[in-house]
Amino acid sequence: MLSDTELLRYSRHLLLEEVGEVGQQKLKNANVLIIGMGGLGAPASLYLAAAGIGHLVLNDFDDIEVSNLQRQITFQQTDIGQSKVDASKQRLQQLNPEIKVRSINKQMSALQLGMELTMADLVLDCTDNMASRQMINKACVEAKVPLIVGAAIRLEGQLMFFDHRQSESPCYHCLFPDSEEQTLNCSNSGIIGPVVGTVGTLQALEAIKYFVGLPSGIKNKLKLFDGKSLDWQTFAINKDPLCNVCGQH
Amino acid sequence: MKIQVNEQSVELTQTVNIEQLLVHLDKPLIGSAVAVNQAIVSRSQWSEFMINEGDTISLFQAIAGG
Repeated sequence: MLSDTELLRYSRHLLLEEVGEVGQQKLKNANVLIIGMGGLGAPASLYLAAAGIGHLVLNDFDDIEVSNLQRQITFQQTDIGQSKVDASKQRLQQLNPEIKVRSINKQMSALQLGMELTMADLVLDCTDNMASRQMINKACVEAKVPLIVGAAIRLEGQLMFFDHRQSESPCYHCLFPDSEEQTLNCSNSGIIGPVVGTVGTLQALEAIKYFVGLPSGIKNKLKLFDGKSLDWQTFAINKDPLCNVCGQH
Repeated sequence: MKIQVNEQSVELTQTVNIEQLLVHLDKPLIGSAVAVNQAIVSRSQWSEFMINEGDTISLFQAIAGG
């Protein structure tokens, strides 16, 4: 049941046929794990907290640096030096005291990630490196937890959704099998804030749609965003039968 | 044989698979993804997947930033 304050807070959701009180209750019951509280995690976590996702778990192991503030919009000048998850948790609880936020201020091992996934309904991959992305994908495939992946550098974004509850689902590794660290990340290639913000915002949108039961526009698809033209390209991702992550499942 | 690669017209003198196409175009194999006619072709299929006349090929790199 939603309280009177919740009914008021979420009144613009309740007006929507696609959400309504039933959908809002589903958001309240939801457990979302967000890994990476940088340029993707910032808007994703703000929108999910604002939307009333009942249980948010935030994971990162970095402290806030001045160079983060150009795009990581959860943080302010006075947060420099604080851990990203602690500053984010504080910010999200100020935004919405109705929800529960938990923070994990460390680089999780595969084992700990596996434990966290037993409590997660959905994972947002908002990380900044290939090794983490491969580890998260593998853990989500094994735990059968849906995964929304966002990535961005320069003026380019990538967005995809894999519903690992379904055994026929392809996975991130079917698309990008290389675990070697790519040279393309925000630290060495640069990034414009609203580009990574667009991708993180859409990860939040897809998460909300997932919980209220709306079909995803990116399930088993890769969306490429071009921040110069604002064009999107869409590609179908098929399961690789020889994939050594999801192939035997 | 004429194909489109990232919206550029490319003329091929012989039939090639995806791996040969990447080598021909001097593109890196590692970190690349390839879509033929808007469908991703998994890396494990690259050496068998033949390019046909008129195919639209998209080549792009994995990005990890966030």
